Amino acid sequence: MTLRTVEHGAALVRRFKAMGSPCELQLYGARAEVAARAAQAEVARLEAKYSRYREDSLATRINRSAGDPAGVEVDSETARLLDYAATAWRESGGRFDVTSGILRRVWNFKAGRVPTREEVGALLPLIGWGQLEWRAPRLVLPRRGMEIDFGGYVKEYAADLAAARCRELGVRHGLVDLGGDLAVIGPHPDGRAWRIGVRDPRAPERALLHLALTGGGVATSGDYERCMVVDGMRYGHILDPRTGWPVDGLASVTVVADACLVAGTLTTSAMLRGESGGAWLDALDVASVWVDTAGRVGGRLARGLRATAMPAMRGAERAALRP
Amino acid sequence: MQEMKQRRARSRRRATQREAARELRRGRSTLAVLTTSALALIPGLAERASAQAQESGWSLQYGYSMYSEGSIAASKVIAGSRKRYEIDTHQFKLGAPIGGNILLGLDVTYEKMTGASPWLIQPNLAGDPVVIMTGASIEDARTDFLGSVTYVGEKSRTSITGGASIEDDYTSINFGFNREKDFNEKATTLSWGIGFATDESDPNSTSFTPDPQKHHKKSGSFSVGLAQVLDRASVVQSSITLQYADGFLSDPYKLVSSGNVNLVEQRPGTRTQLAWLSRYRRHFERVNASLHADYQFNWDTWGTIANTLELGWHQELFRLLTLSPSVRYYSQSAANFYAPYFAAGLVAGDNASSDYRLSPYGAIAMKLRADLSLGDLLKLPSARIGVQFEHYQSGKEFALGGVATENPALVDFDVLMVTLRTGF
Repeated sequence: MTLRTVEHGAALVRRFKAMGSPCELQLYGARAEVAARAAQAEVARLEAKYSRYREDSLATRINRSAGDPAGVEVDSETARLLDYAATAWRESGGRFDVTSGILRRVWNFKAGRVPTREEVGALLPLIGWGQLEWRAPRLVLPRRGMEIDFGGYVKEYAADLAAARCRELGVRHGLVDLGGDLAVIGPHPDGRAWRIGVRDPRAPERALLHLALTGGGVATSGDYERCMVVDGMRYGHILDPRTGWPVDGLASVTVVADACLVAGTLTTSAMLRGESGGAWLDALDVASVWVDTAGRVGGRLARGLRATAMPAMRGAERAALRP
Repeated sequence: MQEMKQRRARSRRRATQREAARELRRGRSTLAVLTTSALALIPGLAERASAQAQESGWSLQYGYSMYSEGSIAASKVIAGSRKRYEIDTHQFKLGAPIGGNILLGLDVTYEKMTGASPWLIQPNLAGDPVVIMTGASIEDARTDFLGSVTYVGEKSRTSITGGASIEDDYTSINFGFNREKDFNEKATTLSWGIGFATDESDPNSTSFTPDPQKHHKKSGSFSVGLAQVLDRASVVQSSITLQYADGFLSDPYKLVSSGNVNLVEQRPGTRTQLAWLSRYRRHFERVNASLHADYQFNWDTWGTIANTLELGWHQELFRLLTLSPSVRYYSQSAANFYAPYFAAGLVAGDNASSDYRLSPYGAIAMKLRADLSLGDLLKLPSARIGVQFEHYQSGKEFALGGVATENPALVDFDVLMVTLRTGF
């Protein structure tokens, strides 16, 4: 196994931390070293530019302008990211919303406290992409306290951009992994696909299935990562911007698309649709695999998987899968 | 009343269908709209997107090979056909993933062989050994099945295998267990395995064996190996395999000549073999090629010692084609019960064989392989076709040290092989 890889030169493996996640680049070829440096720099650049935690970031500058009718003028990259946010908001029926980050102020999953209806309700007037005035290159956040959070899609965008940078530098075979958001540069040099494990939300240490990819991007959303249980009620971290409350129904969604960015938007939008998210993805004819909170498995990628996924499930769940 | 109900149900059904169709249309456009919007953000996405192809992890391979032994020189044969073996082989390999971590493998090989083989060696009037071949009528087929189940873990692979080889006059059943484990961030891989086989031969071609009875053989093997990535461009692997066989280890179709009598050949009832294989791979990024250097040392309790050295160069061209020329050198010493023919006095039960495979000799093999990627053509990223030609030549002149008398039945052969592989 190891010997076969080296016939084409072993992959350069570069690990680093960025955007709050462990990241890994696996690149083949003579330009791997140069490309790895460039890709890592690209990720660092985007983190510095769009992190809401950084005082000097563009995101902070935009958010400080909230309430100012003059707004802020943004650069062309940010303009295209905002255009994308507008598209995603429209296509998700108002669910994918970059203004919903402020719900964090009352939903603290680490503290394990459920906010009151009043606390949540008080934030809702500050949420809604539709309230913003976006006419490139000027963005106006009309009310004080409004915020834009690029965190919902900048990591996926960074994975795509890092992959693009590698390709520009001549790397044809490789994989970019930013904390589970993946962009495939190209297959292994011998043509083999990358084997990518999709976690089983019911047993996260186990793979539900393996994807074999030679291109495109992959993103996963799951509520097993962050959730809290208070008084026997489970609260997932997927918050509906329209109500301010968690949406339940799906435990995990993985999507394969041309770009990691698109895959990420679709997983988030599907999670936000709750129980009907899986059916929505299926209707889109998107390459996905999803597991709902009842343990049902679905999606185009799961075809043929049903039988093998069964041992992990209890009898009732198994019965639900029978055609 | 009844009719109205039916009409209402029909119209409800139609409305649901219309809604589903609308949803589907809207849905498809959602993906397209998002992708178009992403195209403006991500340079080069258009080209990359077209390369997106998913494989389920299934792989399928078909191979055909034509093996052809050179005719034996007229001066070395006193009777029988000069035309030696020709073997046509068809091989199918299937790899199927089951769930997340399990890979099933199935290999089926079908071989058909025709031609004659050396039967007996006698001295001619000058005392030089000459061969009596079997007639050219031998025709045999072999079918081989091998199944495997591999559990692929994060840092380890565990597999069990089971197989059977079936011929008209020979049956072999085998089982194996292998495990590989990665250490040091996958820079080191330790592997070990055990295997068992049980064979039964039931010679039936009575005109060429005076010994048509069932015989049995059992064998077991143990191997351990270590692979180490030295740096990004090179890796070494070394493994040792120990094999023990017990039972009928002779060839029931071969005779030995002792003075004026011919006897069935007889080999010891046990054999312990040791094989030590070391492999080195080095990739040269500048020229997009890699060097393969393999060395194997073999030793056994029958007294044969063999050395094999193989050097290969794998050159990638235009990202589509890999050309791999290689050369292999082989040399072995004789088994301690081997002689081209024996002096008078050998009795049944004495260990004695004149098989050229146990004689002292050396060999040179030259091989050229071309692999062409059909990925872009067939839109299947790992589809490829490989063509390989090998020419093998053996003789006493290639052996290390000197060989006094060459076995006249030493073989030369050519192999042409074509393989088609795809994943989907």
